[in-house]
Amino acid sequence: MPLFVAGLSHRNAPVELREQLAVDEDKLRELLRDAAASGAVREVLVLSTCNRVEVYAVADVPGEARGALFRRLCRHRGIETAPVEALLYTHADAEAVRHAFRVASSLDSMMIGEPQILGQVKDAFALAQSCETVGPALHTLFTQAFAVAKRVRSETEIARHAVSVSFAAVELAKKIFEGLDGKAVLLVGAGKMSELAARHLVEHGAFPIYVTNRTGARAQEMARALAGTAVPFDELATALAAVDIVITSTGAPEPVIKREAVQRIIHARRGRPLFFIDIAVPRDVEDSVDTLDDVYCYDIDDLKQVVDANIRERGREAHRAEAIVDREVAKFLARLGDVEVIPTIVSLRERLEAIRSGEVKRTLGRLPAATPETREAIEAMSTAIVNKILHAPITKLRESSRAGSSRSWLELVHELFGLGRK
Amino acid sequence: MHQTLLTLAIVGYVIATGLALAFLVQRDELIHRLASLATLASWILHTVALLTLALDLGRPPLGSLPEALLVAVWVVVLVEMWLERRYGLPVLGAFVLPVALAFSLQSMPMRPLIGSTLRGAWVWVHILLALVGIAAFVLNFAGALMYLLQERQLKTKRPGALYYRLPALETLDRLTYRTLALGFPFLTIGLILGALWAGAAWGSVFAFDPLALLSLVAWAVYALALAGRATAGWHGRRTAYFAILGFAVLALTLGAGLFLPGRHG
Repeated sequence: MPLFVAGLSHRNAPVELREQLAVDEDKLRELLRDAAASGAVREVLVLSTCNRVEVYAVADVPGEARGALFRRLCRHRGIETAPVEALLYTHADAEAVRHAFRVASSLDSMMIGEPQILGQVKDAFALAQSCETVGPALHTLFTQAFAVAKRVRSETEIARHAVSVSFAAVELAKKIFEGLDGKAVLLVGAGKMSELAARHLVEHGAFPIYVTNRTGARAQEMARALAGTAVPFDELATALAAVDIVITSTGAPEPVIKREAVQRIIHARRGRPLFFIDIAVPRDVEDSVDTLDDVYCYDIDDLKQVVDANIRERGREAHRAEAIVDREVAKFLARLGDVEVIPTIVSLRERLEAIRSGEVKRTLGRLPAATPETREAIEAMSTAIVNKILHAPITKLRESSRAGSSRSWLELVHELFGLGRK
Repeated sequence: MHQTLLTLAIVGYVIATGLALAFLVQRDELIHRLASLATLASWILHTVALLTLALDLGRPPLGSLPEALLVAVWVVVLVEMWLERRYGLPVLGAFVLPVALAFSLQSMPMRPLIGSTLRGAWVWVHILLALVGIAAFVLNFAGALMYLLQERQLKTKRPGALYYRLPALETLDRLTYRTLALGFPFLTIGLILGALWAGAAWGSVFAFDPLALLSLVAWAVYALALAGRATAGWHGRRTAYFAILGFAVLALTLGAGLFLPGRHG
């Protein structure tokens, strides 16, 4: 299968160039149809996101097709071809398959495991299908890539641990509380970021929501937005006793939550943990609050540290994901390769069987006195010889197809055994 | 026959423990599945071994402490497998199986069975109740250990491998409390029956029996933990420390029963 992928991504191209090359949907349609009509490619798909512009294609002469496609792309965008071509990476056959699997599985993304890329690949596939530039090769390739991506997502944790501060806070809450259903949340200060964190908590079942702020009007407004209740700022201490999670984000120069205030309420909680998410700078929760039992206090730096750990954890999971991709690539090539070499193996068998049965018939015709045992022995012997001769070439064909290099071997076998046109 | 089966079961537990610990380090579904499979297979072998042992003896295998501990391990592993499924706690094995393994290794090699002075249904009840108590406390210990580890991770704010594998603090605190609340009445009634029977059989409740004395200490530790929880709302770290202390005394108790002379043989 003369499949290749060529393109540039966040790994090798600066954002300015990626921006310049990114194509919108209408232009893409035009480009796909033109490329197919020109006859340079048999099948083609273009993936264009803000992090990568890639062309997947099946062509008889990949080098030429690649040049033609990118010249066309650059002309569409009105930019010079040379600097783009200098940056292009190209993968062929097995490596192209691996690349497609890795991209769809979000292993090649800037943030490993980010979920958007699979949707973008699916969109690109649908677009190419609607332009009728997807043939059997790309169809098999991308259907399988989607399956691999799904497998990677469900069998590894590359997409599981939060990489944003607000999601990391939700995950932490879930490691403290058995579930967030019915956990009360108090927002102290009404910033955008605390609103976002509160929304995530609400999505996971947290209820009710209280909002307090030095300016009452702002608290009212935020409370309305979150379907919560506004609480006067001087009742902060009372509100504190009634909630499980506190998100602070005031602009106050001094901590608004003091150790004594927390200590006073902690006994009455009878062991229910209290979780402070302090995203204010300077911090709103006094440093020593964190030393109290059952109180967990994360400031913005702590949350960032958790996010860093999560990213490292994703990295570790990515190793397992790469192993899955490796296995899937091998499986895919084996299946594809067998499909490619099976006709040749069949005609090779037919050819030798024809020779064998012809020769056996001729020999037996010259031996009219041969007993049935002798006839049987001749049959068996000739069959064994044919099988032994075939064993090596058939094995070689299967192996070569799995390694993605069957084309030259197929031609060789056809030539050697005179199998006629492929 | 039972000796061979038992050896096989213990080898199985060694493998299962190794896999369960490996799962802590390398989060791979396959390792977990293999660990569960090894646990189940060993437990089945263990079941058959106990049945053949009972047939050989012509009575339940509870006549001596080593026998009784084997039954305790059997209960522990059964409950561990159930909890793991019921609460979706795939890491539980890593904390419970090493203890179960240590308890089952004491029967290797099985020492000659002492001509039992035991008679009467009360003794069997005493042993059975104590066993269920011990099984619950093994899980109590595992829960406490997991709680302390997770609490440490959350307080230091440096999530390590365990942070991702261990469940929520509230879940672990609940597990610790429930196993304590379950184990304690069993241990209490087991001890009372033992004392009553000892009084009837030997004429004195205590004399010097190391197991009986130490088990009273363990009982006191657990009683304190439970009382603290009920009256003063003790929980979390404090309960966990008590669970670990109580279990240490309990392990000492069983060790004393196995290796020191006394009524438990």
